[in-house]
Amino acid sequence: MLGIKEIATYLPNKRVSNYDKKEKFDLEDDFIENKIGVKSQGVKNEDEKASDLCVKAFENLMKKEEISKENIDCCIVVTQNPDYNIPHTAAIVHGKLELAQECACFDISLGCSGYVYGLSNIISFMQSNNLSNGLLFTSDPYSDIIDHEDKNTDLLFGDGASVTYITRDGEWIPKIFSFGTDGSNYKELLCEDKLYMNGRAVFSFTATTIPKHIQTLLADAKLEDDDIDKYILHQGSKYIVDTIRKRLRVDAGKVPFDMYDYGNTISSSIPIILEKEMNSSQNQRLVISGFGVGLSWGSAIIEKI
Amino acid sequence: MNATIENVKEVIEKADVLGDVANMQSDVALSEQGIDSLDIVNVYLLLEETFDIKIPDEDTAQLETIDDIINYINNQQN
Repeated sequence: MLGIKEIATYLPNKRVSNYDKKEKFDLEDDFIENKIGVKSQGVKNEDEKASDLCVKAFENLMKKEEISKENIDCCIVVTQNPDYNIPHTAAIVHGKLELAQECACFDISLGCSGYVYGLSNIISFMQSNNLSNGLLFTSDPYSDIIDHEDKNTDLLFGDGASVTYITRDGEWIPKIFSFGTDGSNYKELLCEDKLYMNGRAVFSFTATTIPKHIQTLLADAKLEDDDIDKYILHQGSKYIVDTIRKRLRVDAGKVPFDMYDYGNTISSSIPIILEKEMNSSQNQRLVISGFGVGLSWGSAIIEKI
Repeated sequence: MNATIENVKEVIEKADVLGDVANMQSDVALSEQGIDSLDIVNVYLLLEETFDIKIPDEDTAQLETIDDIINYINNQQN
């Protein structure tokens, strides 16, 4: 059965500290640590592109898992900051990794909901086309589009990438997916030249939509909170993660918060945590939930077999 | 439901803000009483849900104090 065999991630070594921005944005430590939840952000080198971060994530995957590159038959990249408008970044990753010509490659243009959409897409696509070894990348280097004078965004985002290895003997199997979109509010998180975010609108959307969406997902799966070991939420900010958790009435210990030292990595935030949680023997069933740009959201329940 | 000092303070309390909500002054800006920019968007959302109103972004500048909030809600409802 197709499922997640392994996940690897890449975070740049270079860090920018939010404590160095205290004077510029008139910040208290409490705001940095307990509201934004980002002490420092990972920042790629200026000349690095999305595909370079994917390649570094893949190099980390190769350290964990023996992979025959010639057997990779599907390669998907989730990004909204592609290397170029044309071609798709997945083709560039394909070239840099020297994958086989029989390998299917395409991009998915989604932000913070992108990992969940990507996971559903790669498994469905591989199943439909009888493929066996897939790579799902996430890489959205926001450092290229941040307005450093904008407190709403300059404190929040960090660069990062992930790769999820999908095989027929994967140990983590998605059981149910659910998706949603509110395109009427697409302008609340928008990039023409630099990123713009209406923080109030995005907060209200996540606080009102996502808890109900997750509760409906559990009800559809005939599961209750006791059946879920962890809720891996997109790391929008600490305030957003805490608000969703409180509205779900879930114990804090079941909702990991992990972004203090690297920031909001968009579609990579879920796999960065999932990489750690999927190797814990205590975890058998997880909820993953991504939400943001679009406005778009997607959640899934994944189980260990 | 009309807005009062008591039920508006209950809403602020629900937002889990730092500080002593019970002793907040109704005529002093919330930003001067420990409510930061993230707390305030949560307070606006909880006010919208509690009093079944909409607070457009352009109106938020006039909602500095608890008294401002009470007057705004009661004017909307009347």
